[in-house]
Amino acid sequence: MASDEGWDGAAAAEIAPDEAARAISAIEASRSWLADRIIAPGWYHLAFGLLAGGAIAEAEMRSWVLFAWSVVGYTVGCSALMWLNQRRVGVAMKYFDACTRAIFTGHVMTLSALIAVACWLDLDRGIRGAFLAAGVLAVPLTVASGRWTDKLLRARLQAGQ
Amino acid sequence: MSTAPRFDEIVHAPNRLQICAVLAAVDSADFATVREGLGVADSVLSKHIRVLHEAGYIEVHKATFASRVRTSLTLTEAGRAAYDGHVVALRAIVGGKGFRDTARRPGVPAE
Repeated sequence: MASDEGWDGAAAAEIAPDEAARAISAIEASRSWLADRIIAPGWYHLAFGLLAGGAIAEAEMRSWVLFAWSVVGYTVGCSALMWLNQRRVGVAMKYFDACTRAIFTGHVMTLSALIAVACWLDLDRGIRGAFLAAGVLAVPLTVASGRWTDKLLRARLQAGQ
Repeated sequence: MSTAPRFDEIVHAPNRLQICAVLAAVDSADFATVREGLGVADSVLSKHIRVLHEAGYIEVHKATFASRVRTSLTLTEAGRAAYDGHVVALRAIVGGKGFRDTARRPGVPAE
């Protein structure tokens, strides 16, 4: 990034276009750097996916104790992941705008639908393995949703919004 | 409502412009993160932060966590307005609209 000696027109009565262009370039470089930093590493969304998938697939065991522990594990795990990422990135920002909120809502509704279908198949139709399948499906869905959100965040940051 | 172009000499210094560019995109950023982004020493960043803080453009928060002090920086509304106006002024200059500074601050040291 530019040093403080990068442009020297601050004392001039009129700023030269090339100096202004260099300043704009520096702003864009800062935004790009920030956008790159915000993007979560590959393991981040995968870890979320495994937490969600594990919590859903666990229902296959038909144990209330395990179910309770999976809910605790999911909650603690998600909180720890978000805390770790916040520490890694070093910034606090509004992750949700209209687009990212729509993706998040869509993701929650998709997982809810998966769970509902698994409940129907397993509890009503007696088809074993439905929760396991739903859990496995939840992993790529969560990863895709997270990466899509990252892509929109990156575009938003690069646009300076 | 569009932002009026307003050249701001405090914001214009390269490092301060980049500090504002980072802070304008987020709610707050850690001192270490901004320092890493600028690639400058602690003392250099502290100097620029002091200038921006004295101008009322940024707020500095210190929080102690696990016996370590974390410093975070936030752009104030005045800082955001100054940065936005400055960026519009720069774009007007680049766009060849002949923007002429009428709002420069006297007494601000050039870098």
